[in-house]
Amino acid sequence: MDMAARFQDQQVFHMTGRRSGDGLAALDKSPMRPALFAGYRDLTRLRHDFPLVLVESGITDGYAVSLTLLVNHVIETLAPRGIEGERLRKHVLRLERELRAGLAGGAEGDLSELWATAAAKLASDADESVSKVLALAGDSLGVDGALVDCDDRLPSRFMIHAWRHVQAQKASVFHGHLDRLQRRLSDILRAAFVRSEAGQRPDALRASVGGMHADDFDFTAMSRLVSRNAPKDQLPASRRRRIEWALSVLTSQRFHASRSLPGSGEASYGFLFDNVAEAVAAYRERLPQVVELVKAIAIAELEARNDYDEKDHDPFFEAYDANSLTADDLALFPDYLVCIPVGRNDLPENASLMDTLSSGLPVKVVVQVTDLLEEASIGTGHFAFGVRSARLATAAMGLGGMFVLQAASSSLYRLRNRIEHGMGCSGPALFSVFAGAPEAAGELPRYLTAAAAMESRAFPAFVYDAAAGENWATRFSIEHNRNPEIDWAKEPFEYADEQMQRVRGESAFTYADFAMCDKRNAAHFAVVPRDRWTSAMMPAVDWLALPEREATERIPYLLAVDGDDALHRVLVDARMMQATKRCLLLWHRIQEHAGIHDSHAERLLAREKAAWEISRNQELDALRKASAGAPTVVSEAPPPAAGAVAAAVAASAPPPEEKPPSDDPWIETARCPSCNECQLINPELFLYNENKQAYIKDANARTFRQLVEAAETCQVAIIHPGKPRNPDEPGLEELMKRAEAFN
Amino acid sequence: MAKPLSQCIIKLHEEQHNLEDYQGGVPRWCNGCGDNAILAAVQRLCRDENLAPEETVFVSGIGCSSRFPHYMKTYGFHGIHGRAFPIAQGVKMARPDLNVFVNTGDGDCCSIGAAHWIHAIRYNMNLTVILHDNHVYGLTKKQASPTSPIGFKSNTTPRGSILEALNPLTVTLGVQNVSFVAQGVDWIPELLYDIVSRAFHHRGFSFIRIIQRCPEFLPKMFEPWLHDPGKTLLLTHANGLQPSAELARTYKNQREHDPLDIHRAREIASSEDPIPVGILYQNPEVPCYEDLRGAGGPRTVEAIRKGLDAEFDKFTFWPDDGNQSRAA
Ligand SMILES: Cc1ncc(C[n+]2csc(CCOP(=O)(O)OP(=O)(O)O)c2C)c(N)n1
Ligand code: SF4
Ligand code: SF4
Ligand SMILES: [Mg+2]
Repeated sequence: MDMAARFQDQQVFHMTGRRSGDGLAALDKSPMRPALFAGYRDLTRLRHDFPLVLVESGITDGYAVSLTLLVNHVIETLAPRGIEGERLRKHVLRLERELRAGLAGGAEGDLSELWATAAAKLASDADESVSKVLALAGDSLGVDGALVDCDDRLPSRFMIHAWRHVQAQKASVFHGHLDRLQRRLSDILRAAFVRSEAGQRPDALRASVGGMHADDFDFTAMSRLVSRNAPKDQLPASRRRRIEWALSVLTSQRFHASRSLPGSGEASYGFLFDNVAEAVAAYRERLPQVVELVKAIAIAELEARNDYDEKDHDPFFEAYDANSLTADDLALFPDYLVCIPVGRNDLPENASLMDTLSSGLPVKVVVQVTDLLEEASIGTGHFAFGVRSARLATAAMGLGGMFVLQAASSSLYRLRNRIEHGMGCSGPALFSVFAGAPEAAGELPRYLTAAAAMESRAFPAFVYDAAAGENWATRFSIEHNRNPEIDWAKEPFEYADEQMQRVRGESAFTYADFAMCDKRNAAHFAVVPRDRWTSAMMPAVDWLALPEREATERIPYLLAVDGDDALHRVLVDARMMQATKRCLLLWHRIQEHAGIHDSHAERLLAREKAAWEISRNQELDALRKASAGAPTVVSEAPPPAAGAVAAAVAASAPPPEEKPPSDDPWIETARCPSCNECQLINPELFLYNENKQAYIKDANARTFRQLVEAAETCQVAIIHPGKPRNPDEPGLEELMKRAEAFN
Repeated sequence: MAKPLSQCIIKLHEEQHNLEDYQGGVPRWCNGCGDNAILAAVQRLCRDENLAPEETVFVSGIGCSSRFPHYMKTYGFHGIHGRAFPIAQGVKMARPDLNVFVNTGDGDCCSIGAAHWIHAIRYNMNLTVILHDNHVYGLTKKQASPTSPIGFKSNTTPRGSILEALNPLTVTLGVQNVSFVAQGVDWIPELLYDIVSRAFHHRGFSFIRIIQRCPEFLPKMFEPWLHDPGKTLLLTHANGLQPSAELARTYKNQREHDPLDIHRAREIASSEDPIPVGILYQNPEVPCYEDLRGAGGPRTVEAIRKGLDAEFDKFTFWPDDGNQSRAA
C-alpha cells in the first residue's frame, strides 16, 4: 500500500498516459528499442537473408538467392577445410560485409559489379594475392543479377522480378506451343503447294533443286513427268483460308514478346501497371485480340490434326466471343501486374481494387503498406480500399476464388516459392506487403521494423490459395510465422544482471514491443529507472492474461535497451495495451482459419467427447449388471465400430475359388498369352476376347477330339476339355484318357 | 477442371480405339511364338491409353521380333540390324511429342547393336524399349545369340556354345543414367501387361527384357518354368507390381522389392533360376537427353538455314574485321 502510494505516478501514467514528476522518463528523450533487438545493432555484420540477388543469369533453382548462401557456397567449393582455407574464408567474408555496408550506404548495381568494386577497395590496402583470391571467388559465384537490400524499394523490385520470372516461363511454354502449330500449318500449306500445278511448274522444280545441279536437269521434262501422276492441290478453298487466317493471327500476336529477331513484328503489349484502372482498361481493350488468338489456336490445333469439321465447328466458332473465355484460356496469356507505389493506395484509380479482384480478371496486385501503427493505436486509421490496410488481405480472402499472400518485406525471400506459385496461378492474386515503417518512425532499419511487424502479429504472414483444395486446411497457411500455434512469438533472451551474471530466458514479442519501435508512439510509453521498479509491475504478456479485476492493480511493462544496451523497464499505457489486445484478437481469428483453436472443431470435439462418455458409462453399467447375474441389456443397433470391423473382415477374406470342376470345357482366359495355337485347330470354337485372350465360344461347334488336341498344344496348359458331349464320337475312350491330364 | 478451348474441342472429337484398331498385318510368326503375347499386351496398352495411332511409332531392327511394327496399325520403322536405337532416338529428338517404342531381339540389341544399346541407356531418352529375348537368332534359323545358354547347339555352335550367356538386365543396370529396368515372361499375360504399362508411364529409357519362347528352335527350354510356378520370383511393391489375388495364389514365390534400390536390383537381376519378374529398378529423377538438349525446337526452313549459315560463318572471312578468320 505504502509502495503503491509512493509510485502513484506510475499508476496514473498507465491509466491516463500522463507523465508527471521526474520518476518517469519520456521515450523520445532517451531512445530505446525492444530488448530483443539488442543483438541486431549492426545489420551489416549480421549474416542474414539480405541482401538478395535477383537472378538474371546463372544456374540456380530460383529467381532470387541470398548473398549469404552464395558466399557459403563459394567458400565450400573454394576454401579447403581447416586452417589452409582460413585466409580465403576471411577475405570473402570481409567482402560480404563490405557489400552489405555498401548497399546500406546507397550503392546499387549487379552483384558482379558491386563485387568487383568492393574487391578493389579491399585489395587496395592489402597485397596482390588478396585481389586474386577475391576475383577468383567472384568468378565462382555462378549467378548474377541486381543485388538488393531490404529497403523501401525491395517489395516492388522483388515482386516485379518474381512476376517477370513466371511470365518468362509462361512465354516459353506458349511459344513452344505456337511454334509447333505454326510449323504444322505451314507444312500443310507447303505440301499443298508441292502438289499443286504451280508447285510442279519447271521454275518451282528448279528452285527446289538449288543452284549447284540446276544445269544437269531438264526441268520442263521433269515437270511433265511429275504433273502426270501426282494428285493436284487438294486443299479446299475454305480450309486454305482458315489455315492462312490462323497462321496470320498466330504470327502477329502481341501478347508474349516474340522470341525471334527483335524488331520483327510489332512491339508486344505491356503488362506492368502502377494502378488498377489502367490495367483493367488495357485488359478490356485487348479482349477482342484475346478472343481471336484463342480461336486461332483452337482452329490451328484442329487443322493440324485434320479434325476440323465445318458442320460442327463453323457455327461454334462464329458464336465464340469474350463471354466464352475461361480462366484456363486466359492462363495462356501474360498476367497483368499492378504494383501500386507506396502511398498511392487511396488514389481514385485504385478504388476498384476489390471489384477487380472479385471479378476474376487475371490481375496480380501488389499493395505496399507502410503504416500499421497509426490506425490501431492512435485511431485515426488510414483507409484505402474501404478497409484498414492491415486487414486488406483478410478482406480479399473473404472474396474467395483467388490467391492472397500477406507478408512483411523481410520475409519475402522466405516466401519466394509461394510468391512464385501465386504469380503463376490462373486468375487474380493479391500480395499485401508491409514494407517497413516510414521515415517518420525513427532510425531503425526497414528490415528490423518489417520483421518486428510480422513477429509481433501486427502483420502476420499468411497464404490463402483458393485453388489448393476444397477446405481451409489445404488452402490457408500461417506456417511462416514464428510459433504460429501460440499467442506471441517467443525468442531466447540473455542479459547480465546487477551482479553481472548471465541470465537466460525467453521473451515474448508483442504488439506493444513493435509499437515502441516507432517514435511517434513515444507518448504511450514511459521509462522507469531501476530504483523505482516495484512488484506491481508485470511483463506486458502476463498482464494481458490477467482477469480484468486483477489487471487494474498491476502495471504492464516491456523490456528495452538503450544505446549502450543497458536493460530498462518501459511502462505501457492502457490505450496501447488496448491496441495490443485488439491485435491479439485479430491474430486469433487468423489462427482459427488455420485450424488452431478452431472454435467449431473444439465445440464438436467437446460434444463428441461428452457423447462418448455417456455411451461408455452405459456400457460399463450393462457389463456390471451382466456380471451381477442380471439379464444382459441388448442395445437395439450394434455400435458402429462393430459394423466396421465386420466389413473389414469381409473385405480381407479371400475371394471364392475361380471355377468349380464341371463337365463343360473351359479356358483360364486371363492366363492366355495369345499364341494362336488353339485357333488354328478350330477358329469357331476358340475365340479371342477384347484383350486378345482365348475363350470357348460355341461349345457345340466342336468335337471332343479338337478340345483334347487343343489342350495338348496349348503350351501354358490352360485349356480344360471337360467331358465329351456326344457319346457317339469315335475314339472317345482313348480321348478321355488323354483329357484327364488337363481336367 | 476446365481446359483451354483448344483442348476442350479436341477432347470432344477424340476417337476411342478398340484393340483391333491397332492390328496391322497378320503376324507371320510361327504358331505358339511368344512374340504374339507381346503384341497382344502392347495392343492392349495402346487401347487402354487411347494412343493416337498417328502419334505413335514402333521402331525395330531386324529379326523375327523386329517384324513387330508391321503388325501395328501405327507409324513404324523397320530399320537395319542393330540400329533400332539410333533411329528411335532421332525420331524422338525431332518429335518429342510422339510415343516412341522400340522392339528389338537379343541378336539385334545385345550382339550387333550392343554399342548403340549402351549409349541409348546413358542418353535416357523417353522411349519404351522391349527386348524380345528368345535366346537365339530366330529369323536366320537358329544361330547362337549372346543370350543363348552355355551348351546350346545351333548352326554356329554345332558342338554347343562355350561361352556363358550375357545377362541383359545386369548390363543395363550397370550403365550410367539407367532409369528403368523390368523383366517379364511372355506366358504370364497379366504381369506382361502391367510391366509394359509401367514402362510406358515412366519418363525415360524404359528397358523391359521379356523372356520369349521360340517354339521353333528352343521348344523345350522354358518348360520347367511353365510347369512350376515356384520357379518364378514375383517382385512386388507399392511402386512396382501388385499382382491380382488370383495370380498371387498361383505364384507364391514372391518378394517385396523397392524399385529405387539399385543394389538389390542388381542382385536380383543376376538370378536365372528362379526367373525374377517385375520392376527391378525405376528412378524418375534421371534427366532425359531430349530435355537437356531442348529437343523439338522449330525446324522451319528459315531456322535450318540460319543454323547452317551460323556454322558456315565460322569458316568464312569477313571483310570488315580485317580478313580475320572467324574460325573458332
Ligand atoms: C547387318 C546385318 N547383319 C546380319 C544380318 C542377318 N540377320 C538377320 S536377323 C539376325 C539375327 C536376329 O536375331 P534376333 O535379333 O535375336 O531376332 P529374333 O529373330 O530372334 O527375334 C541376323 C544376324 C542382317 N540382316 N544384317
Ligand atoms: S493355345 Fe493356349 S495360349 Fe495359345 S491362344 Fe489358345 S489358350 Fe491361349
Ligand atoms: S522362329 Fe522362333 S522367334 Fe521366330 S517366329 Fe518362329 S517361334 Fe517366333
Ligand atoms: Mg532372338
